[in-house]
Amino acid sequence: MIRVDRIEEVFYEKFKGLILTQKGILDMANEKDRSLDRRDSQEQVVRKTPCISRRQFLKAGVAGFAFLAGSSGVRDMLEIVAFAEGEQLALAKGVVLVDKKLCSGCRTCEAVCSTYNSSGRSSSALARVILEKDYLKGDYEANTCFQCVEPLCLQACPVGAIKIDKKSGTNARIVDEEECIGAKDCIGACGSVFTPPRPRFDVERGVAIKCHLCFGDPQCVKFCPYGALQFKWSDDGVKTGYPIIKEG
Amino acid sequence: MNGWAGKILRVDLTERKFENIPTSDYVPTYIGGRGVASRIYWEEVPPDAGAFDPDNRLIFATGPLQGTMAPTSGRFMVVGKAAQTAPVEAYCRSGCGGHWAPELKWAGFDAVVVYGQASKPVYIWIQDGKTEIRDASKLWGLDPFTTQEMLWKVHGKEARVMTIGKAGETKSRLGIIITDSGDASGQGGYGGVMGSKNLKAIVVRGTGSIRVARPKELMEVAGHIRSLFSRPSKPGSPLEPNEPGFKYNIWGGQGRGQLTGAPGELWNLCSDPNSGYERLPDACYACPIGCRTRVRGPDITSGVAQCTQSNMYLESIMKDPEKGYSKLTWEAGRMADYYGINAYDIHAINPWLTACYDEGALSNKDTGLPLDKIGEREFISELLRKIAYREGFGDLLAEGCQRAATKLGGKPEKLMWALYPRGGKFGGYREHWLYYGGFPDGYAISPLALMWVLDNRDAMVSHNFMSQLWGAATSLGYPPNFAEAEKLIPVIKPTMKYAYGSEKAAEFFTPDGKGLKWDWAPRVAKRFFERTILKDSYIVCDVAFPFLYNPNSGDHVGDSSLESKLFTAVTGVEMSEEKSYEAGDMLCTLERAIQAREGRTSDDDVLRDICFTNKDAAGRQYHRDDLERAKAEYYKLRGWDQTGTPTLSRLKELKLSDVAEGLQRKGIVTPDQRT
Repeated sequence: MIRVDRIEEVFYEKFKGLILTQKGILDMANEKDRSLDRRDSQEQVVRKTPCISRRQFLKAGVAGFAFLAGSSGVRDMLEIVAFAEGEQLALAKGVVLVDKKLCSGCRTCEAVCSTYNSSGRSSSALARVILEKDYLKGDYEANTCFQCVEPLCLQACPVGAIKIDKKSGTNARIVDEEECIGAKDCIGACGSVFTPPRPRFDVERGVAIKCHLCFGDPQCVKFCPYGALQFKWSDDGVKTGYPIIKEG
Repeated sequence: MNGWAGKILRVDLTERKFENIPTSDYVPTYIGGRGVASRIYWEEVPPDAGAFDPDNRLIFATGPLQGTMAPTSGRFMVVGKAAQTAPVEAYCRSGCGGHWAPELKWAGFDAVVVYGQASKPVYIWIQDGKTEIRDASKLWGLDPFTTQEMLWKVHGKEARVMTIGKAGETKSRLGIIITDSGDASGQGGYGGVMGSKNLKAIVVRGTGSIRVARPKELMEVAGHIRSLFSRPSKPGSPLEPNEPGFKYNIWGGQGRGQLTGAPGELWNLCSDPNSGYERLPDACYACPIGCRTRVRGPDITSGVAQCTQSNMYLESIMKDPEKGYSKLTWEAGRMADYYGINAYDIHAINPWLTACYDEGALSNKDTGLPLDKIGEREFISELLRKIAYREGFGDLLAEGCQRAATKLGGKPEKLMWALYPRGGKFGGYREHWLYYGGFPDGYAISPLALMWVLDNRDAMVSHNFMSQLWGAATSLGYPPNFAEAEKLIPVIKPTMKYAYGSEKAAEFFTPDGKGLKWDWAPRVAKRFFERTILKDSYIVCDVAFPFLYNPNSGDHVGDSSLESKLFTAVTGVEMSEEKSYEAGDMLCTLERAIQAREGRTSDDDVLRDICFTNKDAAGRQYHRDDLERAKAEYYKLRGWDQTGTPTLSRLKELKLSDVAEGLQRKGIVTPDQRT
């Protein structure tokens, strides 16, 4: 039998603050629905509901519930991040966007991203921002994750390992590497609407990786020498990515 | 291993064999890049091998910083026996930027050592540790850009390609090895060396990663460097149109890339948003500067050009001053890239042919070139084509300007001397002191002359000493190349004190302004060479490092510890600035031992007579005795003997005992040698 204080620790380590619970869902869903409705009416954007499968939801919910069983202390810091089928997903509050005109194709964004997010393993292949460069014609295209309104990656994950980053308050769609089984379904799902697909695969560790907005301080934006990458933030949530934007 | 990929790839083209050797055989002692490559060169290249012999090595070496986010780390060095060095082929090095170096590291290799000779054209394909020699018969004869497009069709767009053009294939001493749209290893004639091995290209693709020992520290240093390099915009400057969000930096970023900033036809076209022409910045991997300009337009050859290519055909501006920097000026550089010709030597060939024509030493008939049309399209396209295909007079010019002029003898040879300052057996490199030290418009500066005689190619390529003079001129609002030298001295006193230990180092002239002072020149040159070789070994950018002049601060003092801090953060190997100079000192001596083995002595560390007879813009001149004294002092500081050969005891102190033995076996040094 694991002691309760130990459970808290394990729980925190495992989920890193990105937790799904049963209880809060209804409260949060109601609140979010209200705020979304308000924004929708203001911006006249037609939104579809994301499809999170029953299985995925239940798995996450049960896992969270089981851990929480004897621990009311942890409960206070939980927030609701996923919703039952037919419900809505919290919008990301930030997104990194690109002003193509200002880009010099130096790939500093890629370099800093992998250094920061892969514990100093520097590589273009591990960058969560993908700079496509036509070296002869001079077209530079930094491809950033849109933190979609309806993240196909999140919906596609068979184990519910893609979650919403509530802890840092960005609501970024992130990979819980503890749970990722390396199915690469997220990459395929994203690739069905975006080229190149934004989640990538870390071969060495066997997990998917994707942009998580660096806990609200995107390093690629900080280090971009020409100011081509810009961080857009809205406390009300940003509406980018699928289904609003689609590529190719 | 942190920083280094861990393996060096050896390719025997004759036997079509590969071998991996551990990088740890060479590092951290020899650091990487030029340091490691010089050590491999010492071990493997026979002193009597010619540049085009199969025994010559073509070493593509990256350093510990490549593949990481270290600013300006997109570079690698090419080292081998250089075809361009004249009249004797000898050890040399050439740097190249772009995106090839990190790709090689991610593919798992720190360096590629190519030797032997393939029986037919081949290229090397390196992918994530796997290596292959492939047939390149269908690529032979193609220009570098078509070659790359063909190879991308086979290996994917992400593969990076180092390739040669026609000039390399015809074993021109002006052949370059080029990647992407215009990044090249130019000096040294290594394209010709590659052509002699029947090697058309090296294609790399890597998806691995390089481990950084202290990522947080690296990000801090990189962030610090970025802030040092950035600057506020200058409102109202026509070169810096107000663009929201755009960040300027101290070299590039005049709105759209720094270079081809010259006024004229092309500038006007690019400034007009409706013209269909545009200038974009283009940067090497992880570079915050982006000094290269990419120009695109409906009727010009688009692409990237650095200073060397983009300003290659200044004659076109002289010919048609109304147009200024024209579409032709731009296209000439692109043509040189297309044929794979070293634009820096064209910087000498053009003025040399102009002088020969003006003085009646060469005519259209002698050369088969339209010399009366220098400055026009017809001339440059004919010249480059003939050099690339070794047609007629082009066959002679393909040997490089110095060799060609020497062969012609007489007046053409004399006219060449003004452009190639180093005499002796190891010249062949056009002056690069724009325009300090140059005559008659520039100023004689004693450390520059000393650096020139001692280097193994053009010395000022690294910009590092020069950055203070140019920086001071810019801070004072003078055009950098023509500012009066005396006016700069008060500004650079604090920076020279920081960089070389005393304000006196900045006193280049005697108090009466009539003569040159030489007392600090040897110490300045010593530190200059150490910093240069370290920069080429870690590898960071020629233009940006060492950072000796800060245009943003009040006293303009730079920070010369940045490179060693990057090295420490990436590798986890502690390297203080002071300790790094010891490593630099060792590498300088190793390089000198290599050159001593190839016959270089103090007799080769000389300037041409013309440098001692001409006067500079202020009426001062270099004196041979002064230069000889400064040289002797420099040798002493390094622990070399009076002939400029490293002594046995010094080599042993530097833990280069095997090098000492090698020199002793050849009879170059003797145990009782006096220092």
